[in-house]
Amino acid sequence: MLTDKAQVVVIGGGATGTGILRDLALRGISGVLIEQGDLAHGTSSRFHGLLHSGARYAVKDKAASKECIEENLILRRIAANCVELTGGVFIQLAEDDPEYTKQWISSCEEAGIDCEEADIQELIKSSPVLSPNITRAFKVPDCAVDGFRILWGNVNSARRYGAKVLTYHQLSAIHQVGGKITGVEVTNQLTGEKKSIECQMIINAAGAWAGEVATMAGLEVNVIKDKGTLVAYNHRLTNMIVNRLRLPGDGDIFVPHGTITIFGTTSLTVDDPTCTKPGHGEVLDLIKLGKQMVPDLEDYRLIRAFAGVRPLYQEGNSSGGRSVTRNFALLDHRLRDGLTGMISIVGGKFTTFRLMAEKTVDMAASQMGINVPCRTAEEPLITPVENALLERGKKVFGIPGAKKAADRLGDSFAQVVELAEKEPEKQRIFCECEVVSLAEINYAAQNGDSFTLGDIRRKTRMGMGTCQGTFCSYRTLGALRGYKQFAGNHRMYLTKFLQKRWKGMRPVLWGQQLREAQLSTGIYSSLFAMERMK
Amino acid sequence: MKKNVEVLIIGAGLSGLMAAAKAVESGKKVLLVAKGMGAIGLSSGCIDLWGYSLDNPEHECHNPIAEISNMVKDNHDHPYALVEDVLEESISFFRRICADYNNPYLDNDGGNWLLPTALGTIRPTYLAPASMAVSDLHNIKRFLVIGFEELKDFYPDVLVDNLKNTGELHVDCQLNTLLVSTGGEELSTNNLAHLLEKPEVINKVINQIKPHITTDMVLLFPPVLGEGWDSAVVNNISQRLGCPVYEVANIPPALPGQRLQQMLLHHIKKQGVELIIGCTVTGALIKDKNCIEVLAKGSGKEITINAKNVILATGSFLGGGLSSKPSKVWESIFHLPVEKPEGKWSTREFLSMEGQPFNKIGIKVDQSLRPVGKDMKTLIDNLFVTGANLSGCNYPLEKCGNGVALATGYKAGKLVGEVGQ
Repeated sequence: MLTDKAQVVVIGGGATGTGILRDLALRGISGVLIEQGDLAHGTSSRFHGLLHSGARYAVKDKAASKECIEENLILRRIAANCVELTGGVFIQLAEDDPEYTKQWISSCEEAGIDCEEADIQELIKSSPVLSPNITRAFKVPDCAVDGFRILWGNVNSARRYGAKVLTYHQLSAIHQVGGKITGVEVTNQLTGEKKSIECQMIINAAGAWAGEVATMAGLEVNVIKDKGTLVAYNHRLTNMIVNRLRLPGDGDIFVPHGTITIFGTTSLTVDDPTCTKPGHGEVLDLIKLGKQMVPDLEDYRLIRAFAGVRPLYQEGNSSGGRSVTRNFALLDHRLRDGLTGMISIVGGKFTTFRLMAEKTVDMAASQMGINVPCRTAEEPLITPVENALLERGKKVFGIPGAKKAADRLGDSFAQVVELAEKEPEKQRIFCECEVVSLAEINYAAQNGDSFTLGDIRRKTRMGMGTCQGTFCSYRTLGALRGYKQFAGNHRMYLTKFLQKRWKGMRPVLWGQQLREAQLSTGIYSSLFAMERMK
Repeated sequence: MKKNVEVLIIGAGLSGLMAAAKAVESGKKVLLVAKGMGAIGLSSGCIDLWGYSLDNPEHECHNPIAEISNMVKDNHDHPYALVEDVLEESISFFRRICADYNNPYLDNDGGNWLLPTALGTIRPTYLAPASMAVSDLHNIKRFLVIGFEELKDFYPDVLVDNLKNTGELHVDCQLNTLLVSTGGEELSTNNLAHLLEKPEVINKVINQIKPHITTDMVLLFPPVLGEGWDSAVVNNISQRLGCPVYEVANIPPALPGQRLQQMLLHHIKKQGVELIIGCTVTGALIKDKNCIEVLAKGSGKEITINAKNVILATGSFLGGGLSSKPSKVWESIFHLPVEKPEGKWSTREFLSMEGQPFNKIGIKVDQSLRPVGKDMKTLIDNLFVTGANLSGCNYPLEKCGNGVALATGYKAGKLVGEVGQ
């Protein structure tokens, strides 16, 4: 069996896990991160992409709301290319309680959230899709954030300091001797190969799977799995994030991302962390609620629906829903269960991932007798692309293509531009919807972390646009044939890719997206007879 | 603007064009209006009648016409059940037009062709343009699959890898690939097809292929060999290299479907059909179960059309003929009732042997293709529905889309031509 050694093994490749890996690396603590799928396999790729200002939690959860605004300001600074400074607005409708608004204003002030009353006429003029029944509106510093980019930013930053990441590796055993952690055994999900990693400390950051990981160590951690469904519209409905000014509930957040808008969410307790199927009924319920804020919502084109499982935690509580805190909990299993060398970090939300990582690594470091302060709030996560490089990029990919690629790639943009300069045929755009070049796809394919078309999709956004991969997935198959992980079974790769997209399209199959689906079956079934492909 | 015609056809897909071609034969005044260019240009360019065996749906059927008559005995709701009387007649009519324009559509002795696609799958089809009709696939000993460096929508190696897996090739068959270049930058399918009409470009391509030619070789190309429907480019390459040359079906845009569309448009114009493309029909006036007026908008102008008979060839959801909202579906112009599946509109698997139920959604009609209500009574006496608008057929799975369009379009054209004669 293969063996490896590190001071700390981090379980889970979401925002928290990758944040922890980076924090460890910056303090000079060696770490290996284990992730059962691709990065963001769990909740970190299945949320609305809202970098909270904290205003949403101001009334209900003051501590959480204060953390949000602090982290919001840090992330804008250290990860500028992952954050879109959209600003946010909270709208109070005629039927909403004005008393809540008063309470909310003073809570925002207490938390230090900049909140300024907006002129309703001007707001409706700049965002004409909004309801004319707005009675009050307030601007707050909400932002849109690209979760996947942040995660890879964390990993790339950690790797510069020697950290290791094993995606598609499942935890198969936790080793302990005399109440002390000694290591883990992991299984490569693609090859079946097993590997043993010796370590002093395990940090369980497995999100919705944290309970399962704890069980492997003989512990009990009760994570409440709360499914939230979201939909993506094919338009930028508003330029600002729009929240409903009332107690947080379902269907009250619109987040613009590039050319699309994500709208959500719902809340439903589920048993299984893999329960991420968005339901048709949930989507219809969402739209019904959203119509209160955006009256013509039914007329806009939907691209897809998706769902994520929020891992909520409240010691001694197992019922889910909106009443459970969105705050995080750090479990020291040495004190709690008498197992030395294991920490679980549960609950929380994307916005505060860095802080969660900091607190977790503070605890881990002190238990290992290491006294190095956290640096993750100071050192930039990703170095912004310089203007001269962007200009070179525009020459090879065109202006919109270069801008999008620079934002997506951050530090790696230079390598992709070089590749395209050296091999001009790689300048061609493969995914027209998201303006992704062959050079970028090639770069994603050869960087060692891509095993499926889905991995490339997540890294490049190829196939994420209006056509949902109908055209580019076929092209990519051809262009990637030279890479050994993509050679061979085209039927399997293509079917898997199309099937994943189908899962998201199915709950929104009406209007323009039904038309798109008819074109898609027209191509893959009528024309290619792929349903009978051998 | 006002227009007075005997026959109005809405839609320029295969069924609309066939309806126009047949209706104009009767000497009637025919107007065809269409919002866009119709889905025929997105199709393979072949005429699929019926792909697979009823008893064994994994296997191609050998006699599509016989299989269709068997199928409609049990399945009265299939659109083919409405056109049994004219099916063979409509095919002959279509083939005569094609032959007149030097664009022969070939049959394979009454059976299905088994034609390779760009993905390397095999698709059964009844009629193929000469440029695509690979004969005797099972006995070919050598293939050379040729791609263009400038084209991002075709990969010879993908075709070869998958074609080998089909089990349909000769055991000793050798497959090779070659990338050629026209010497320029990235090209769209249509720009490449345009370029390949030029003798100096075609010479350049032939020179690159020539050294790779051996005996008994069959050449497969992406569907880009020229814009014209007369196969001139294919024939030129074939003669000069001394081996058969074919195009394979590929994702849109592809030339074979576009050529067929252009040929049929040319034909109906020549026959005297008036054509307005880029014209959206917005509504209709119905009185005493008759459509007496159709309202349309095109290039900023409003057009009122009075027609004795109207053919609705607007092409399902893809063509815009059907509209939908959650759990609701309606016909876009006349608000005709639409037959929808009792259960879900879609299945869990994107591609499966069940097919997607939404593709069966459509309008129910009487034996004369006129829309009927739940009580099966005719709703509008002078309105005829054709092609993908009809309910009851899962054309992507059954491989019958162009066949149904051809036969139902022909029948509607014939019926309106006979009125008053």
